[in-house]
Amino acid sequence: MSARDLALASLETAIDAVLRLDPAAQAALAALHGRVVGLEVQGLGLTLFLAPDATGRLQVLGAHEGEPDCWLRGTPLDLARAGGGPEGAGQLFSGRVRIEGDSALAHRVGAILGALDIDWEEQLSRLTGDLIAHEVGNTARAAADLGRRTRRTVELNLREYLQEEAQLLPTRYEIDEFLAEVDMLRDDVERLAARIARLTGRLGGTGETR
Amino acid sequence: MSEDKTTHFGYETVPEAEKAERVRGVFDSVASRYDLMNDLMSFGVHRLWKRFAVELAGVRAGQRVLDLASGTGDLAARFAGLVGPTGAVVMTDINAAMLARGRDRLLDEGRGGNVRYAQIDAEALPFPDATFDCASIAFGLRNVTHKERALAEMHRVLRPGGRALVLEFSHPTTRPLQAAYDLYSFQLLPRLGRWVTGDEASYRYLAESIRVHPDQETLKGMIAAAGFDRCDVHNLTGGIVAVHRGFKL
Repeated sequence: MSARDLALASLETAIDAVLRLDPAAQAALAALHGRVVGLEVQGLGLTLFLAPDATGRLQVLGAHEGEPDCWLRGTPLDLARAGGGPEGAGQLFSGRVRIEGDSALAHRVGAILGALDIDWEEQLSRLTGDLIAHEVGNTARAAADLGRRTRRTVELNLREYLQEEAQLLPTRYEIDEFLAEVDMLRDDVERLAARIARLTGRLGGTGETR
Repeated sequence: MSEDKTTHFGYETVPEAEKAERVRGVFDSVASRYDLMNDLMSFGVHRLWKRFAVELAGVRAGQRVLDLASGTGDLAARFAGLVGPTGAVVMTDINAAMLARGRDRLLDEGRGGNVRYAQIDAEALPFPDATFDCASIAFGLRNVTHKERALAEMHRVLRPGGRALVLEFSHPTTRPLQAAYDLYSFQLLPRLGRWVTGDEASYRYLAESIRVHPDQETLKGMIAAAGFDRCDVHNLTGGIVAVHRGFKL
């Protein structure tokens, strides 16, 4: 028994405390009773196994005999980002987090854990010490921030290039104008059709009148 | 004068026939406050010991686990999570009061599906040979009158490849710890028992029974003698507690 066992126990307790407030997540986990998800945090040499039980509690194990139903492997950064929000699924799909085995199970557990409000840095600190955990936390935050800014800049530059330089795409103004013209044309056609129908009716006497 | 066989009940020597009855008295008396006392006595560390033992068991989905002397079911609850809906855990105790509490607790927590309950004596298991993948006894072997019989029974009901786990108080590996531990268990523990459960004698028995329980190497020898192979010992908290493991090959 080591500090690692203590850390795993406290991680389990922390997850449990949050799960207790979230009956939906508990129910979702309880449905996965009997399955085991392996989690490999690369760079820290940390491997743990998550086994949901019948009550929706998540058992956190340091060892598991035999192969788990699925593996999630990634750096702390990738794993942390894979969990939360609409971008999380992107992380999983973009291949930064490697999934082996039952990928549907991996996605379900990832989504459930990602939606929980757990201070992962605090939990990580028990396994690696405060300094490393804080660095990882800072890096994750800085990376997320940098990612957001980079994406915004790339978006703006690319748009400008495609619209103004290469003239491959119309600008917002041109699109609005084009759409307005389409609307106008459509209305004109409809009016004309109605007018033709009315005239036809008057001429033939049998035609449909409007 | 008859030459009845005797055994120890803490520091007392009692006829073998009497030990089970007296152990029953102890647990009937403490059942209602058992979990609270465990937390107080071990400062909550008993949960870590049990976690560790369950991890050593290496139990997987679909397996069958026999938990002897389950008490209030700490191990059984964790095993139930690991064996999944396709596996089974048989939670047992010789003491009706303890088993009833354990069963109520597991049912209240919503762990009905894959747990079965049986009031049985660890020395005479009512199961066919080669039934289980894992047999465990946590803080129970000490109270069994014929330990070697219980170990042999565990060996019998295990399948080839199955493993036995014995989590039990043991002997501290360093002298300073031994001294502190003695002070704690003979001075503090019985008082704690009196305040919380109103039963000083039961906790004096606990401290004494730990002292007369075989040490790590002796117990390892007993487990090997019962037929187990690849036996190993893991000392926890400086040897205050040890997990013994043996495989049926």
